[in-house]
Amino acid sequence: MLEAVHLTKSYLSLPAVEDLTFSLRPGQVLGCLGPNGSGKSTTVKMLTGLLEPTRGVVHFDGRRIQDDLQAYRKRLGYVPEEAHLYPYLSGWEYLEMIGALRGMGPGDVAVKIDSLLELLALHPHRHATIGTYSKGMRQRILLISAIMHNPEIFIFDEPLSGLDVTSALIFKNLVQELGRSGKLVFYCSHVLEVVEKVCTDVLILRKGVVIAQDTVAKIGEIIGQSLENTFLHLVDDVDTMSVARDIVGVMRAA
Amino acid sequence: MNSPFEVLRHWWEYYRERPFLRLVRLFVARIFRGGGDADAEGIDLGIGLVLTLLAMPGGFVSLLLLNKYGTFLQWLRGNTNVDPLLVSLPDEYFFIVLSMTVTGAVAVWRWDAIFPDRRDFINLVPLPISTRTIFLANLTAVLFLAALIALDVNAVSCVLFPAVVGATQNKFLFFLRFAGVHAQGVLLSSVFSFLAVFSILGLLMAVLPPLAFKRISAYIRGVVVVYLVTLLCTTAAVPDKLMRVKEHAPSWTLLLPSSWFLSWCQALRGRAGAGLVELARLALPAVAVIPVIAFGAYAVAYRRHFMRIPEMAEAGSATFTSRESRSESWLQRLILRTPFQKGCFGFVWKTLLRSEAHRLVLTAVGGLGLVLASQALMHAFEGAKSLREAALSPDALAIPYILTFLIIIALRGVFEIPVDVRSNWVFQLMLDQDRQECESLGRKVVLTVVLPLVAALAFPAYAYLEGFRVAALHTLVVGIWTVLLTNMVVVRFRKVPFTCTLPVFKQHSIVVLVSWCFGYLIYAVSTPEFESSALAQPWRLLSLVPVVAVAWFVPHSLNKSTIDIEKKLIFEESATRAFQTLGLGD
Repeated sequence: MLEAVHLTKSYLSLPAVEDLTFSLRPGQVLGCLGPNGSGKSTTVKMLTGLLEPTRGVVHFDGRRIQDDLQAYRKRLGYVPEEAHLYPYLSGWEYLEMIGALRGMGPGDVAVKIDSLLELLALHPHRHATIGTYSKGMRQRILLISAIMHNPEIFIFDEPLSGLDVTSALIFKNLVQELGRSGKLVFYCSHVLEVVEKVCTDVLILRKGVVIAQDTVAKIGEIIGQSLENTFLHLVDDVDTMSVARDIVGVMRAA
Repeated sequence: MNSPFEVLRHWWEYYRERPFLRLVRLFVARIFRGGGDADAEGIDLGIGLVLTLLAMPGGFVSLLLLNKYGTFLQWLRGNTNVDPLLVSLPDEYFFIVLSMTVTGAVAVWRWDAIFPDRRDFINLVPLPISTRTIFLANLTAVLFLAALIALDVNAVSCVLFPAVVGATQNKFLFFLRFAGVHAQGVLLSSVFSFLAVFSILGLLMAVLPPLAFKRISAYIRGVVVVYLVTLLCTTAAVPDKLMRVKEHAPSWTLLLPSSWFLSWCQALRGRAGAGLVELARLALPAVAVIPVIAFGAYAVAYRRHFMRIPEMAEAGSATFTSRESRSESWLQRLILRTPFQKGCFGFVWKTLLRSEAHRLVLTAVGGLGLVLASQALMHAFEGAKSLREAALSPDALAIPYILTFLIIIALRGVFEIPVDVRSNWVFQLMLDQDRQECESLGRKVVLTVVLPLVAALAFPAYAYLEGFRVAALHTLVVGIWTVLLTNMVVVRFRKVPFTCTLPVFKQHSIVVLVSWCFGYLIYAVSTPEFESSALAQPWRLLSLVPVVAVAWFVPHSLNKSTIDIEKKLIFEESATRAFQTLGLGD
């Protein structure tokens, strides 16, 4: 089980995340929602061990992750928000390197890469350099690099960015499948419909503070609306239709 | 039983896939082929070509020296009793400086890629490898590259130069001794130069806050480049001065590490006097101390910068304000007539001011200009009786010509360097490819840089020294020459600066290079000589009118003779082949 206990992170004394507490059990897919600047990325970085919390702690199986970060990272699969890859490596070379750095055997790596590239429709492009890849192709490479070592915890930060319809559908089903097979999945996204569809639980952040945390069904029940309307109700008190009308007004005036 | 070669191969096959060596290989490739946060689309020459290009100057210069050391040629010149160690001293100094300059320039060029960046952090830190392993792997890659570049830059000259000098002797032992000492001198100076640049980078990163470092990084690189250019320019004067050093080394030698290494070579050959021995004593401690400084600073910088990358990404969204000055909008109204010019002019200026690669090239050329201008100034004072006499000498008059020539050529050159070609879709989408306004845009950008500079420097200086009339005439001639040269360099220019792909090699590059050298002689040597004599009798300046008329009409007639298809705006330039098939059978 992954537990975040009173996590707080401040930058130059300004809190980005404050007193965040939740737990993630095997089989649970926890969605993390929040507008820009709500602390989602900071939370993800603390969960992956990339950032050390100012206060609080992250436990995995009862142990502080910072006590043995390498052991924790062996069991972690992470898809970051930005697809910063080495443009001069081919997709195959990149994945091979990640496999080697994870300590996987060369034969095992080759078989897995081959199969995963085939399944995610990247096999024909495996020897082209990443610099020539589209955003969606880079995203699929990141996804393969996160799952190829069969980790126990998955942390996805905006994983659908740039994916085409088929790949996005495959990915959504994959997340559900991972949950069903007992993995722990932390899923950060702006796309409410996806969170509603693939996550079992949801965590809503605003200005670094948790404002709602429950199962998707229960949160909907409380407000009595869809997740999208619930989110708007809780996070942004904005009349979106009125803003859209104002934008058109400004366009016409110009 | 396996042969040692087989054992070694198996050993390598096993260890090359181990995480540490994998990381070292990754960092080596990364330093050569791309750094920085963005997926930069820089000019990727490939490791092999880069190493070949780096090795060329040393080999080329060694071959040129055959003319100086060839025994038959010496005999024909009547020099039958030549002391090779004495004669080769200036050349040895040149090779030391060359190796320091080339290696230092490589370190400056790959400045951003030497240190692990945000991309490395995102890709490597979430993996089960410790940050200490990443640090050591990067350090190993840097050390490996320092050694590789030192060997590569000097490999050819380490063999050819001693062979050329040794041709004057018939003892093989002389060749061996000379080659050994020479190799030590150039290799150590190369390593010193690389690590010195690395130390500056590390110290700045260790001391400055990340944002401040990012801001001043380009300027510091510019200063290093100017220093390296200055060092290269010392090759003509310094060896002679070093040969005359008697008891104590002069204080200026402390600023020239190249003189320490030359003295060390001379000391090893037993040819150093007391002064040179004093200098030679600086060489080895310098080589020993510089890695300690470099690695110490690097370790601190690693903790301060690399380990804090995620925090910087979250906290570093500093607010930038952009304001348009009154002079900017006034300038736009005055000289920019069409939407194309109004849109692109700002883009070109902002790129010139903000793009690190472009600023670096301009700084390097500016540094070269300053060195040449200061040499011209020194020559102007040699033999002059007064300041006024010196000011009217061809050398002093040449200063604005030297500077304007280099700035114009540099600006024209950097227009070709693309900046994130993927972003040029906005120009492709919006501009009419048949409207030829690139020449006019290029001309306006160049002239808005150069003409105010001429007016601000040449006019006040000559008005003070020689009076208003001479100042006005000198500024007028330089101004006219500036406009003419600008017209020539932008002729048939049909790109929005920085938006077109650049082929690695253009067939006419050598012709362009030769014509620039030839143009420099006419522009910055012959014209000031003529002007120097004409300023005393201003009516003689009228003889320049036909020259101006020809120089004005040639670009115009070239433009008129250009067919329409060659006037179209382009965003992609591919290398032309020497032979092309017509494809008639397709």
